[in-house]
Amino acid sequence: MVDQLPNRGLETEMLKEMGFSSIDDLFSDLPEHVRMSEPLPLPPPQSEEEIIADARRLLGANLAMGEAVSFLGAGIYRNYVPSSVFQLITRGEFLTSYTPYQPEVSQGMLQAMWEFQTLISELVGLPIANLSLYDGSTAAAEALTCAVRVHTRKATQANTVYISELVPPDRMSVMHNYCQGAGITLKVLKHNADGTLDIDSVQSAAGSCGVYVEQPNPLGILDGGLTQIKEIIGDNTALIVGVQPVSLGLVEAPGNYGADIVVGEGQPFGSPPTGGGPIYGIFACSKPYLRLMPGRIVGRSIDVDGKEAYCLTLSTREQHIRRHRATSNICTNETLIALMGAMHMSLLGPEGLEHLAYRNMTACVLAKQKLSEINGISVPHVSSSHFNEFVIELPRSAADCLKYLDSVGIIGGFDLNRWYAGRTNWLLVSVTDQTKAAEIELLAAHLAMWCSMKEVIA
Amino acid sequence: MSRLFDFAGGAGMGYSQPETLLSKNKVSLPPNLIRKALPRWPRLSEPEMVRHYTWLSRRNFGIDTGFYPLGSCTMKHNPRVNEVIAQLPGIADIHPHQPEHHLQGLLSIYHEMQHMLAICSGMDDVTLQPVAGAQGEFTAVRCVQEYFRNRGETQRTKVIVPDSAHGTNPASAAMAGYDIVEIPSLENGRIDLEALKAVVDDTVALMMITNPNTLGLFETDVPEASDIVHAAGGQMYYDGANFNAILGRTSPGLMGFDAVHFNLHKTFSQPHGGGGPGSGPIGVKSHLAEFLPSPVVKKRPIVGDEAKFAVDDMWYTWYEPKHTIGKVQQWHGNAGAIIRCWAYYRRYGYGLKDMSEHAVLNANYLRHALHREAEKAGVSHMFVDGAEAEVAKHEFTLSLQPAKESVGVSAMDVAKGLLDMGYMAPTVYFPLVVPECMMFEPTETESRDTLDTFAKDFAQVLKVDAETLHEAPITTPVRRVDEVYAARNLCLKHPFDEE
Repeated sequence: MVDQLPNRGLETEMLKEMGFSSIDDLFSDLPEHVRMSEPLPLPPPQSEEEIIADARRLLGANLAMGEAVSFLGAGIYRNYVPSSVFQLITRGEFLTSYTPYQPEVSQGMLQAMWEFQTLISELVGLPIANLSLYDGSTAAAEALTCAVRVHTRKATQANTVYISELVPPDRMSVMHNYCQGAGITLKVLKHNADGTLDIDSVQSAAGSCGVYVEQPNPLGILDGGLTQIKEIIGDNTALIVGVQPVSLGLVEAPGNYGADIVVGEGQPFGSPPTGGGPIYGIFACSKPYLRLMPGRIVGRSIDVDGKEAYCLTLSTREQHIRRHRATSNICTNETLIALMGAMHMSLLGPEGLEHLAYRNMTACVLAKQKLSEINGISVPHVSSSHFNEFVIELPRSAADCLKYLDSVGIIGGFDLNRWYAGRTNWLLVSVTDQTKAAEIELLAAHLAMWCSMKEVIA
Repeated sequence: MSRLFDFAGGAGMGYSQPETLLSKNKVSLPPNLIRKALPRWPRLSEPEMVRHYTWLSRRNFGIDTGFYPLGSCTMKHNPRVNEVIAQLPGIADIHPHQPEHHLQGLLSIYHEMQHMLAICSGMDDVTLQPVAGAQGEFTAVRCVQEYFRNRGETQRTKVIVPDSAHGTNPASAAMAGYDIVEIPSLENGRIDLEALKAVVDDTVALMMITNPNTLGLFETDVPEASDIVHAAGGQMYYDGANFNAILGRTSPGLMGFDAVHFNLHKTFSQPHGGGGPGSGPIGVKSHLAEFLPSPVVKKRPIVGDEAKFAVDDMWYTWYEPKHTIGKVQQWHGNAGAIIRCWAYYRRYGYGLKDMSEHAVLNANYLRHALHREAEKAGVSHMFVDGAEAEVAKHEFTLSLQPAKESVGVSAMDVAKGLLDMGYMAPTVYFPLVVPECMMFEPTETESRDTLDTFAKDFAQVLKVDAETLHEAPITTPVRRVDEVYAARNLCLKHPFDEE
């Protein structure tokens, strides 16, 4: 029997008081021909105990990364979220609230989100941040349409934005879906053989509405050349930088090298990988973009007694007021996950962030060094600095290598042939602060073993 | 006040971390990428951090705090077993790029959810990728757009939306590039079929409707509207925001719709978390199925050694629809939200019908009780029904226009008065077709006692004199917040020493 209905057993009494005799009376307004005549062909209700047993069985059949040795990243990264974050997030006042339409009883979430805005703003070096978009890809896509709204009137290449050719196809697809309605053309920026952006190709983007690049780029490369872009494209073209936020503990904030909009997957702060969602997208920008940006923003204000108070502000950009002229259709966002991010960032503090970034980078240095020593493996971008991941070129296909590694309990990385057709032997190996030296040794040993095999065994 | 940026303790005191795998001087960066100054983040210890966020939480109102009749948002109880399940490593610690044989449990749950939602909605195929209701709308609009492009019907450039629709409808259609044709509703918020006929022609791609509508009334003319739009070759879209009202009683399929989104966080109780996350799957009829975002989950019989990874006698596999619009979110939707909603669905099974029946029972009872208690308290002249109707569905509206005219008390004043009584206020000033509107949605998880007590307290608020009510709230963490001040004196981050 269903157990979530406090008025079960009181139906007749309640109906009688209203002057009805049956539940059917409450549905008398449904025209005959649209009524469902049969019960839903679904299984019977389950008790909590039965549900949790099924959940343990089914989810237990998934291979959690922590049960294996994982080098899979490519946009979602293994991380450690402190216990207090999980404990606090279950506070019902946070968990079971909704959009703070009544600020007087929503000060907790409003202030927490204003503080989140500050944390992000400080991290990326821009004055304004919203309180999350769905994920990194939708944040990037909304950044493009925002850039076009701001710049297209003065642009010599109206309705045109330039995207790094390395951007993964799945992320590019989201961008396409968000941009096609506004008639925005997506053009690509070329890269050099060493994986860095071809700065000469950026010249072609001058006069367009925006340039989108990533730092680190999808190959894990930290590209110093990106600091030159703003000078080339000027004030009338937005520089949009996608970031892995943890990297900013060591890497310069994009706002300090000319970025107008910074976006990224907030996941490493506060959220386990969770199969890719719910996570949260970071969106930060400079002042010229404020009134045309997407998403909710909290402002500090005062109440009628002059007391410090917080409320949603600049709502006239949003769909519930501006309807089809809104800057975005977003309503429900990822506030709770952003709150987890804020909690995690608070606990880290500046030096904790820097140390976390060092842990990521030293793991990357160690892995790169160990794997490059293997006979048969080369590291195409060996001279670059990497964050979280780097490419290794294998003697045979990455798909076969991954099968072998899987057979010995290692999730070996990401087959780049799935992103870049023809790169059949390129494997993207990801390490994070969670990677242990022994795991790198294990990967190296098995890669060496696989390389020495004449044929694929798996 | 507890302010995060007032905490300025010692470096790294929040939580200790392991040492780096190599000495830090092994790290090199391009010189121009070396960060010059760390972010001005606070420094606080775990005890301070826990107390700060606990302090904040106590200044926030959730369903757990009290009755939350926020119309159109379906603020029902969030069962806690769902939270426990969502923390299991088999969901929290999985990567969307893992191969299928690592994720058979997840894929089987996705398949079960696709199947269940198809059954409940009368649709043929479902994708779970969209991560919010508005994104579901956008996704469905994109599918319809590609469907027409595929048929060469590129002259269809318009989407029809009633003026009582949620703002996301026109916003989503406009984002896909459509021109919006807004049609006026009749007095009670219902579709004006004559107005619809006047704008329907072969340039219309889609009509978007919520049913029950935003006044909580079942649109009996929807089948006729479907016929009108279909006769001109257009498609019909069902906004599932109010799906909680009809589950197991009727379905969008029976009403003639071609596509529908579900607000899983509403109907299937994913916690709303102060503004999100949500989950906004869509269902479509078969002619739109090959346009869905990629991938969806299909199943087939097990082959060879797959048995050792399988969760039953079928193999669950990602499928890319032939004419897919691609991706609307980079990964596989809000998997963690879908797991919670799966657990919620399992609790009901075929009893989902009971859920909707109790939601409608409670809404009608609350409407009845509000009138009853107002009558007893002598304040029944202060409001009228937002729409004449014998029965409402899962929500209903009242108009406080009489109170406004007679004593100068607005819907906002009453809302603030309710905050002082320990309630979340109903939705106010939406839909716009009802003057001084208050929209109540009690949901099925409130007891009769709660509804009766709320009705009495509502009547008490109406007895308060206007001057006092203008001052409300007085018991809340802050009193009325100056939104104009916030917009005129923009302060969007901690000002640090610039203050």
